[in-house]
Amino acid sequence: MKLKHSFFTRRQFLNGLLGGWAGAFLASFLYPALKFCFPPTREPDQVVLPFSDFEDMEPGSVRNFSWGTKPGMLKKRADGSYQAFVAVCTHLDCNVVYLPDKKKFFCACHDGWYDENGVNIGGPPPNPLRQLSVKREGEELIITKKSVE
Amino acid sequence: MKTGIRSWLDERLGISSIAGFLRKKMVPQHRHSLWYYTGSAILLFFAIQVVTGFMLAFYYKPTLEGANQSVARIMTEVPLGWIIRSIHSWSASFMIAFVFIHLLSIWIAKSYRRPREFTWMSGVFLLVFTLASGFTGYLLPWDDLSLSATKVGTDIPRSVPFVGVWVTKFLRGGEDVTGDTLTRFFSFHVSILPLLIFAFIAVHVYLIQKLGMSLPLSVESKKEKVKELPFWPNFIYREMVVWLLLFGILMTLAIFFPPSLEKTADLMAPAPEGLRPEWYFLFLFQTLKIFPPKILFINGDTIAVLLMFAAAILLFFLPIIDNKPAEKKGKVITFFAYVFIVFAVTMTVWSLL
Repeated sequence: MKLKHSFFTRRQFLNGLLGGWAGAFLASFLYPALKFCFPPTREPDQVVLPFSDFEDMEPGSVRNFSWGTKPGMLKKRADGSYQAFVAVCTHLDCNVVYLPDKKKFFCACHDGWYDENGVNIGGPPPNPLRQLSVKREGEELIITKKSVE
Repeated sequence: MKTGIRSWLDERLGISSIAGFLRKKMVPQHRHSLWYYTGSAILLFFAIQVVTGFMLAFYYKPTLEGANQSVARIMTEVPLGWIIRSIHSWSASFMIAFVFIHLLSIWIAKSYRRPREFTWMSGVFLLVFTLASGFTGYLLPWDDLSLSATKVGTDIPRSVPFVGVWVTKFLRGGEDVTGDTLTRFFSFHVSILPLLIFAFIAVHVYLIQKLGMSLPLSVESKKEKVKELPFWPNFIYREMVVWLLLFGILMTLAIFFPPSLEKTADLMAPAPEGLRPEWYFLFLFQTLKIFPPKILFINGDTIAVLLMFAAAILLFFLPIIDNKPAEKKGKVITFFAYVFIVFAVTMTVWSLL
């Protein structure tokens, strides 16, 4: 079928072709440059800790460990079981501290509070602290992401 | 008198046309003339930043292990290092203070109106680059305070739908603030941002020369002719007096109140109490703090951040929004300028309580 009227002139078509080609050409440079700007992320799938380092914890106390580049916190419950958190505030990413006498997690950046189970109870935090799962295998504690369970 | 060297240079560089322009350029004199000095005050402080920044970069090491120590060395061992850092830190505050004064004076005087829209817009870019310089510079000493401030600041874009996560990753060089963030911020602070600032100052100053000085409404509406002062050399001399005065105040503050340096940042340590950003971010800091965690199932900070972005975009497009002819009054726009001042001051004072 031959159209009576063209939607664009030959000049417009060729300019569009040239512009599109130039755009694609530039994008082919932009893509690797952008790729360079984002180093691979380093969130670990699991962290293995020697149980002996955490065996002597008092019930209700916490001890820090490294969850990749973030701080992690291991808490011993009253019944002797362990609970692990990513000790980073869900508001704007500051590291939180556990206050054993208040039984609360606290973020000093914008006064955010979490209860002893990491549930947000005051201040701006919108979500509970991220929990990690803890498994004991022999003399090792295996900390994994909750979703990997 | 045209000497041989002068005419030789003029033939090759065309200096006489620039000199002729400067001789002809006139600056209006009226009771609001004081605001004309705010622009050159910013240039003074920017020049101080460039010179002292070069000097600090002779000793500063942008690495996880070396950053805090190298700043400590500048403060304690390098001859007069403490005062160079102090000047750099104070001059940054002065520059940002004058950027805000400059912006508000133009906002209230409506000097951004036709044909000066692009002068305003290039100015808003300069505002962003100046604040970004302050923000990136704050991290470089790498102590607990600067680490937490950077964590918060780089996490703010995350709330923006779709692109936010990538912006945060780009700023941090990964998921978290690490040594990669430090080198990246160093690159922003000493290379990318200064180049951008130079480029935009060039555009900004060119437009001011091309369009001439703007007159405030109250002066323009009067029928009689406005008094004028030649830019060269009369106005320049007056500016020099202002510069000298400001430099004196800067030096006094720099000598008596040098910036502190806390112990080196620990990526795993909890955020220190009493954490605060630099004074010019306090009003944003307080705004983030008072937003409730959830507003109708949406994160409070998402709404706060989106509101801040919207405000920045409105500011940028102010000359398009208020496109009335230059001689019309703009009470609503003036009102918003005062609302902004009251809001910023209230929030800042509140955050200090």
